[in-house]
Amino acid sequence: MSADVTFRGVDFAFGTAQPVLKDLDFQVGNGEFFVLLGPSGCGKSTALNLIAGFEFPTSGEVLAGGKRIEGAGRDRAVIFQDSDSLYGWLTVLDNIAFPLRVTGAPRPERRERALASVKLVGLHGHEGKYPAELSGGMKQRAQLARALVLDSPILLMDEPFAALDAQTRSILQDELVQLNIHMKKTVLFITHDIGEAILLGDRVGIMRAGPASAIKEFIDVRLPRPRRRGSAEFGELYERIGQSISDEVRRALQREDSLLS
Amino acid sequence: MIARPALLLTGVSLATGIAAWWVASHALGSPLFPSPAEIVASAKELVRTGVLLSDIAVSVKRIAIGFVLGCAVGIPLGLAMGLFRPVRAFCEPIVQFLRFVPPIAWLIPAIMWFGIGETSKILLIFYMTVFLVLINTMAGVSSIRRNTLRSAETCGVDRWQLFWWVVFPATMSYSVAGARIALGNSFAAVVGAELIAADSGIGFRIVESGKWLAMGDMFAAILILGLLGIAADRLVNELASRWLRHYLPPAEQHVG
Repeated sequence: MSADVTFRGVDFAFGTAQPVLKDLDFQVGNGEFFVLLGPSGCGKSTALNLIAGFEFPTSGEVLAGGKRIEGAGRDRAVIFQDSDSLYGWLTVLDNIAFPLRVTGAPRPERRERALASVKLVGLHGHEGKYPAELSGGMKQRAQLARALVLDSPILLMDEPFAALDAQTRSILQDELVQLNIHMKKTVLFITHDIGEAILLGDRVGIMRAGPASAIKEFIDVRLPRPRRRGSAEFGELYERIGQSISDEVRRALQREDSLLS
Repeated sequence: MIARPALLLTGVSLATGIAAWWVASHALGSPLFPSPAEIVASAKELVRTGVLLSDIAVSVKRIAIGFVLGCAVGIPLGLAMGLFRPVRAFCEPIVQFLRFVPPIAWLIPAIMWFGIGETSKILLIFYMTVFLVLINTMAGVSSIRRNTLRSAETCGVDRWQLFWWVVFPATMSYSVAGARIALGNSFAAVVGAELIAADSGIGFRIVESGKWLAMGDMFAAILILGLLGIAADRLVNELASRWLRHYLPPAEQHVG
């Protein structure tokens, strides 16, 4: 099954408020790692919610695998920024096995597949703990492991590393790159971090400051993996994207100022 | 576990309280103010004759039945009100009104309707528990984080799975919090009811001893009342942290 994602002329507004997204148009190819980069409040998380099926476009179409999205579904796993999507009353292993419990898979199979996923994300030794006992980085690993158990062709990641400290973030970014070399999932990754976008993405879509946001520019990242932050090409790209986005950040800040005054 | 210095201070605190009572009772020298030794002697006598134990049993039974019934109605109703807008819209005005009418205000009508026996007392405890548990459970439903539900949707849950595996456990900590408060207040409520009208129970023992000026017995009953309250609270805490540990909010968990 093809696992591409398409936004076709998508508008989105909460009620009668100013539109968050206006005429958003882009496509993520099968197996592509696409990063949506933009200043805060530009509506990039809203775009993710539309693919996830948590929200619906006011007009236009959002398609996954060629099919119009009717709601959340197992073909699109989501990794959230905060760990409130992990269940505090379940162990790490039971959290990770949750998608299999939903399908009624037998207990031994659930355990086996969840443990395999635990190993993949480097959580072994922590599977018997509860989420409250995990560090922020471990919680995000647990979310990732649960998404892997779901085995969706499409992976939606909503600023998953934004709340982590710099070291942990960098380690998890590297691990995600390593994992996806084998998994080849279609990924939509939301971030406001330029370095993260270049490090991870096959292609980066830069969003305009909201309201009525859409993608301003697409940038192909043709650097071999694993990428190094120190390299000259990395620096050049950083500069280029930085310039493109700084106007948007400035506009976003001005808007915040005018809202505050 | 309580740390040693804290344990020591607890001992000193209790000893000070008893000593103060002893000094006051000896200074006054009144038969209306028996010394700690006399109270303990009365308590022993009440235990020996079995009067005290049957009083305790009666009061505890009333609390237990009312409490369990209150939770059995309060939790499902709170969930329904939290989940379904029409149910909430229908029930809320009644609930909001009744929760400001203290249980003891219903005692006289309850005795007129159901007599002086068990029913009126159990009903009182039930009434008090139901509102505390219901309101907390309802708050629990609305406190569920959006991503908690969304991640379940992504896993393809149906309505029942969402309810039993996510909504219900996520609300549990709130229901338990309400139940704890209810149980704490139950003792005061049942004794209040027994003071006003009863033919058995600890509250009744206080009134009865007072009538005959058996001050030792009266204070023995009050002493037992305090001890029972502590015991019930400890028991609930113990049970909750043993079985419901991971359903409670992180602040109440004993991590590590």
